[in-house]
Amino acid sequence: MQIKPILAAMRRHKAGTILIGFQIALTLAIVCNALFIIHGRMARVSRPSGVNETNLFVISNVWAGNLSDHETAVQIQADLDALLQLGSVEDATALNSFPLHGSGWDNIIRMKPDQIHMTTDSSIYLSDDHTLNTLGVKLIAGRNFTANEVQALSIQTMASWPVIIVSKDLATLLFPKGDALGKQIYATNNNTPSTIIGISDTLQSHMMDSDDNAFAYNAVLVPMREVGSGYIHYLIRARPGQLAAAMREAPKALIAQNRMRIFYANDGEVTFAKVRAKAYERDYGMAVLLVIVSAVLLAITAAGIVGLTSFWVGQRRRQIGVRRALGATQGDILSYFMTENLLIAVGGIVVGTLLAIGINLWMVTHYGVAYLSGSYLLVAAIALLLLGQGAVFAPALRASRVSPIEATRTA
Amino acid sequence: MLKMTHLSKVYRTEVVETYALRDFNIDVKEGEFVAVTGPSGSGKTTFLTIAGLLETFTGGTYHLDNLDVSNLDDNARSKIRNEKIGFIFQAFNLIPDLNVFDNVEVPLRYRGMKAPERKERIMGALERVGLASRAKHYPAELSGGQQQRVAIARALAGSPRLLLADEPTGNLDTQMARGVMELLEEIHRDGATIVMVTHDPELAARAQRNVHIIDGQVVDLAEDPRFHTAYAAAAGQVRG
Repeated sequence: MQIKPILAAMRRHKAGTILIGFQIALTLAIVCNALFIIHGRMARVSRPSGVNETNLFVISNVWAGNLSDHETAVQIQADLDALLQLGSVEDATALNSFPLHGSGWDNIIRMKPDQIHMTTDSSIYLSDDHTLNTLGVKLIAGRNFTANEVQALSIQTMASWPVIIVSKDLATLLFPKGDALGKQIYATNNNTPSTIIGISDTLQSHMMDSDDNAFAYNAVLVPMREVGSGYIHYLIRARPGQLAAAMREAPKALIAQNRMRIFYANDGEVTFAKVRAKAYERDYGMAVLLVIVSAVLLAITAAGIVGLTSFWVGQRRRQIGVRRALGATQGDILSYFMTENLLIAVGGIVVGTLLAIGINLWMVTHYGVAYLSGSYLLVAAIALLLLGQGAVFAPALRASRVSPIEATRTA
Repeated sequence: MLKMTHLSKVYRTEVVETYALRDFNIDVKEGEFVAVTGPSGSGKTTFLTIAGLLETFTGGTYHLDNLDVSNLDDNARSKIRNEKIGFIFQAFNLIPDLNVFDNVEVPLRYRGMKAPERKERIMGALERVGLASRAKHYPAELSGGQQQRVAIARALAGSPRLLLADEPTGNLDTQMARGVMELLEEIHRDGATIVMVTHDPELAARAQRNVHIIDGQVVDLAEDPRFHTAYAAAAGQVRG
């Protein structure tokens, strides 16, 4: 091919060549890191909560009156009874927090009372005997709580928790041999042990920031009514096809029980689908932003290639005519400009790959992101090669149509 | 070698038809050195562009090296330009981004010639025009006369059957022009067929044969009164 003379000519047009090459390099570096981040965010978004999210909704309730702990416990039980009376409701539970909620209570988990460093950290879900069924989480070993085991106590009292259910991830983490059932762990700060009576299927932590760390699927279910904090979340499972009806009827039923309550302003009554959307809105936002930035960058690079090649074609019309007069076919001229772009793109891609790795290493050091996989570099490199060839095609085709008679025109 | 019969070239717009060449007949034999002369706008350059297959024609026939080139497609025309024709332009038309060696190499690359043969031919052609030592120079580093010699080397390197020269000394001063002309004569003596378009009667006089074009047609110089007037004036200038 005619690579040598193209390289020779490019040396005489250093500024434009370097500018486009650098633009390709920068685009590659940014786009493949952006792709990597987008993929990471999407992977995070698609992680399971463990909850059967269809037909499930949440009413977040704040007590308005000055209820005592005992009165609160009685009211919660009355509320749950009223909800279960509704024909559209299959089951209901009262919780301090739930997966994807973001805020809640987590505690350190220890294996021995005198242990100084924690073994791990876990979400503490203050729950009841209806929780697993309402959330649609299977019990994979042991037994569920009984109604009698559910205590109505304020968390401030730091009561002991004789029985607990743990998520399977936590059970495996604490007891890798798979013999967690019946074992004791320390989940409270008051050095009283809790016996694991059941192991649930996958159940996500409430902590959104912990999605990427070892605590993401650590959950401890404690049979306890949260009565001291002034609020409670009712999670309600509607019968199939009756979600809308249940969401209409449930708040009315609660108000009928006791008017002295407030539902959260924006998310007082929401489907679990909305809970999920809200939990990941920042991830979606980031992904969309990065997609837009990448698209704009690619468009600018393509426009730069079209612009510069068009300029070069205009500048070299006579030269193209001379080449045609000396025997170049239209295909030779087309391939000249396509090859020229290919060489610039390959140069840009080599520099861009190094730059991308550099940016990634910097982010690994400063922001703890993972190492960039080679496949992103490969995808971005191929995308930029195709983009370059696509962008250069129209001006190159125009160049190939320059008549050989241009050679005879006087300058 | 080059034979045009009843050839015409018409430029059409919506309102007018302009005949650049009309019933044009010429026959250049192998090994001839023909000068094509004529006033500005007579059709000299149109003749040359058609002869060089840079442009198509409207009617008549054109045989180049015994091949009817009337209805060839673009690729076939490119191939003939590359293999059979050497061009020498008034404005030299070297590619400014390429050095002398690479400039001479251009048509050889389009022919798909292997590197060792290309190199041999390039150096041979450059030696012939006396510029072998300037192979690594860029056109901008050469004088006009040297640039035209490079262009001649480029035309010769492919061993064409026909050399077409369009005012080859038009952009050169007298001394450089003389050098280029002597080179063309030397090439002709070695057996090349040369067709040179010029409006310079002195240059034309050094060719073997002159063909005069007026209003897009070849005219018989001996009989055309327009030529006698023009020739007398030009000859007067030359003597003065």
